[in-house]
Amino acid sequence: MLFLGILVFRLLLFGHSGVVSHQDTLDLTPVEVFSMPLDKYTFGQTVRLISEKDLENFQGLSLGDFLQQRTGLFLRQYGAGMLSSLTMRGTSAGHNAVFWNGLPINSPSLGQTDFSILPVGGFDQVTVHFGSGGALFGTDAIGGAIHLSNKLNFGQGHKLKINSLLGSFGRWNQLGEHSFSNKKLSTRTRVYRNFAQNDFSFTNVAKIGTPVKRQQNARVLQWGAMQDLAWKFDEKNLISTAVWWNQTDRQIQPVMGSNTRDVQLDENLRWVVDYFHFGSEKVWNLKTGLVQDQLKFNQSINRTAQYFISGDLDWSLGPKWSSKSGFRYSYIQGNLSTYEATDSRLELYQSTNFQPNENLGFSLNLRQLVYQDNFAPFTPGIGGEWHFLKSDRHLLQLNSAFSLGFKVPTLNDRFWKPGGNPELEPEQSWSSELGVKHEFGYGNFKLSNQVTYYRMSVENWIIWLPKGNFWSPTNLRKVHNSGIEYFLEASQKMGLWALGLQGTYAWNRAINQTNINENDRAKGKQLPYTPEHKFQLTGSLEKGAGKIFLNSHRVGKRFVGTDNVSVLPAYALWDAGVNYDWNLFNRLQGNLGFQVNNLLNTEYQVLRLRAMPGRNYQLNLHITL
Amino acid sequence: MKQFGLFTALWAIALFLGSCVTDPVDAPLGEYEVGVLIMNEGAFGSNDGEVYHYIPASGELKPAIFEAENSRPYAGLLQDIVVTEDRTYLVANTGKVEVVDSKDFSSLGAVSEGLDITRSLVFVNQKLYISDWGAYDADFNSPESYIAVVNDATGGAIAKKIPVASRPEGLFVQDNNLLVACASAKKLEVISLSSETVAGSKDIEGSPVRFFEHGGKLYLYARDADHIYFHELNRTNHNVVGTVKVGLEGSTSNFALGDNGDVYVLTSTGWPDYNDAVAKISVSGQVSDASIYTGSGFYGIGFHPNQKNIYIGDNNGFQGNGTVIIINQTGQEVTTLEVGRGPSGFVFK
Repeated sequence: MLFLGILVFRLLLFGHSGVVSHQDTLDLTPVEVFSMPLDKYTFGQTVRLISEKDLENFQGLSLGDFLQQRTGLFLRQYGAGMLSSLTMRGTSAGHNAVFWNGLPINSPSLGQTDFSILPVGGFDQVTVHFGSGGALFGTDAIGGAIHLSNKLNFGQGHKLKINSLLGSFGRWNQLGEHSFSNKKLSTRTRVYRNFAQNDFSFTNVAKIGTPVKRQQNARVLQWGAMQDLAWKFDEKNLISTAVWWNQTDRQIQPVMGSNTRDVQLDENLRWVVDYFHFGSEKVWNLKTGLVQDQLKFNQSINRTAQYFISGDLDWSLGPKWSSKSGFRYSYIQGNLSTYEATDSRLELYQSTNFQPNENLGFSLNLRQLVYQDNFAPFTPGIGGEWHFLKSDRHLLQLNSAFSLGFKVPTLNDRFWKPGGNPELEPEQSWSSELGVKHEFGYGNFKLSNQVTYYRMSVENWIIWLPKGNFWSPTNLRKVHNSGIEYFLEASQKMGLWALGLQGTYAWNRAINQTNINENDRAKGKQLPYTPEHKFQLTGSLEKGAGKIFLNSHRVGKRFVGTDNVSVLPAYALWDAGVNYDWNLFNRLQGNLGFQVNNLLNTEYQVLRLRAMPGRNYQLNLHITL
Repeated sequence: MKQFGLFTALWAIALFLGSCVTDPVDAPLGEYEVGVLIMNEGAFGSNDGEVYHYIPASGELKPAIFEAENSRPYAGLLQDIVVTEDRTYLVANTGKVEVVDSKDFSSLGAVSEGLDITRSLVFVNQKLYISDWGAYDADFNSPESYIAVVNDATGGAIAKKIPVASRPEGLFVQDNNLLVACASAKKLEVISLSSETVAGSKDIEGSPVRFFEHGGKLYLYARDADHIYFHELNRTNHNVVGTVKVGLEGSTSNFALGDNGDVYVLTSTGWPDYNDAVAKISVSGQVSDASIYTGSGFYGIGFHPNQKNIYIGDNNGFQGNGTVIIINQTGQEVTTLEVGRGPSGFVFK
């Protein structure tokens, strides 16, 4: 009863549900373990949820694969199962913040996350925040932010889950999970193993006669384990914790024309503890945790550790105002192959929502970060939403936001030997956006459209340049970004049948404003490996427990260098599959799916001379007991 | 009159015979046998090395001629171009050698298996001898350096690997010996081409890079942080018979031999300014001008023996394609060319 009360409180406190449909992250299921909503102070900004159901057919595959195939986001993939870095709104790989259960997990030495070693199964859902969010999320959130979350439930008893995925090129992914929960305690243990030989065929254009060859040296073996625990130890107090260990042992797929036999071993340990205290219209949260990363490339070992402690108070001043005030302290240790360094960061932040009426809402976010003896730029962000047309069938909503972002130079930027530059300034950005969302419902037909236009400027962009016998970073580049994001969702029910359509389109212009010297020809050109256009569409047809789908994504041309001379052609891939939800005597349930990826066997390269697999097949089996 | 008749007869015969003897006519040169081949190394991890072709007289510049003539990318980091007889060897430090016809750059063959970090090659005795650093060890040293032997002028399988001291670079054939400049080991290794084994090894002051000939003498260029060295070699016993040591801060391994024993060397100041320059030095040791031209991103240098111009490759930070800056011998800019990624060397024809 109390927990239900807490959730009702959440509804009052956090939900601007009358105004916003950010709601996807605000599941009001009464048994769900509480977690801070990620979209509460985001009026005017675009936040999208990728649910556990969406991820279902990607068991053990990387989050990078999912985002590339099923969203408008673009990932620079260095081969099948290889390094996969995200670009959002035309920014670089280090310009998006990545969180796991509220902990920032971007590597402090590299400043980015490799999305190929975030396997589906290591988290339950993903929230994508588009655009600068420095005030909300801190460093790195220039192009956007990605949040990986675990979702636990109370009162579910024992559950056993086994997921398997069998696929072409030696793919075999397995996950086993046991969970138990009563009204006060929830625990879940998960173990997984993912393997792919990746010996797919490709046309080797680096060899005479361009023969078709089997890919060599691209095997990936991944192991992981997770433990979640939540304990509601009295009426007003909840503690939850999660541990995630992930190891990825990879051969590094060589670029065509090279004979390298590199290997890489990544080990990542993440641990978080949250304590919540629920007061009268207040929620106190104390969070602590650590993120340890080890990257062993051949014999070269790089280790980093981040320790966090943060606290905030989220409270309500009547129905119109809500506020969150908090701090985060981070201590970072780097033990890299060429240097050792430490860093400490203190952040103070304040978020405020104001809802004068049910059709209007505003967010104001502020953040100040201090690292070592340096002040990062003070970072405000403001946004608003207005339901300017509301009827039985239509809802039209205007969104607008302005925000600043920043990125603290990475440890490698500052301390790498040789070449690290301790004098680097943080990268800075401003971003503004204007969008319209339209929702329409009539009978069994539902339609949702959202279009957003954004403009952004990133300054002090750090690039590494050859300096004599080594490379060194400088704050040199300035980039103007602008573009449009469009989201479409539609569904139609016809008796037992249901038709679904989901699509995204992203138009991203990222125009370099600087030449590094008088001979450089980069000014006025699109950034390398930043497609202006990406399009994705999924259509599905369901009847009862059966479902078929067809998905396509198209990536526009990409330039190889800053002068836009070399071009990689656009490509489009199609996937199709069938799923069936089965149930045996109400005791054993599950899902069986078969899928064909790259249906037309298209030869393509995401990055130049990095081979990618042709047509391939996968069989999914999920069993829940 | 009789004499006149005889003379006329002889003249007629001579004319007739002369008309029957065909003048030796040179076979027409191929498109790429004239002009300048511009070597663009490419960017690490991208394997986008390529060759551009430039005709100084007309200013015509043809990009990416390997891909243009073979409908496939070169797909390597281009380290060296070696022209011998009617073949051109394109050496990639990503572990391959492409062999093309010098006339039209059409592919003739390749060495694509078994190489690691390939640096240069020579063609002698109908064989290819290819210098290679071998795979790096855990500390990125090169203890497995070798000279690979291929028994076919157009490539194919490696018949043998001859271990040599660390990081072999330039090669030179003298009589029946192969001289190898081992930069990291600071050694000159001598390989007998009869036995294909290392017959001798000599310590060298500085890191030896490349051999060149001037005034009938054979030199080995070497460098360290503050000096360059012109080591004169005895062609018989390969001993260093004389060394000219020149103080030159920030010297690099990039140099070009000019006229009259002038050598143009790229220099870089390093931290914190990183200014690059072209220094003009005499083989005899005189520094004529430590910076006849300055800039940044200098990555390759060449001297056009006919035009007497200096060609400088500017890598533009490897962010995009590079630029070739052509200057005259007094350091004045003549023109610039938009070329490929990381222009690093030139072959003048």
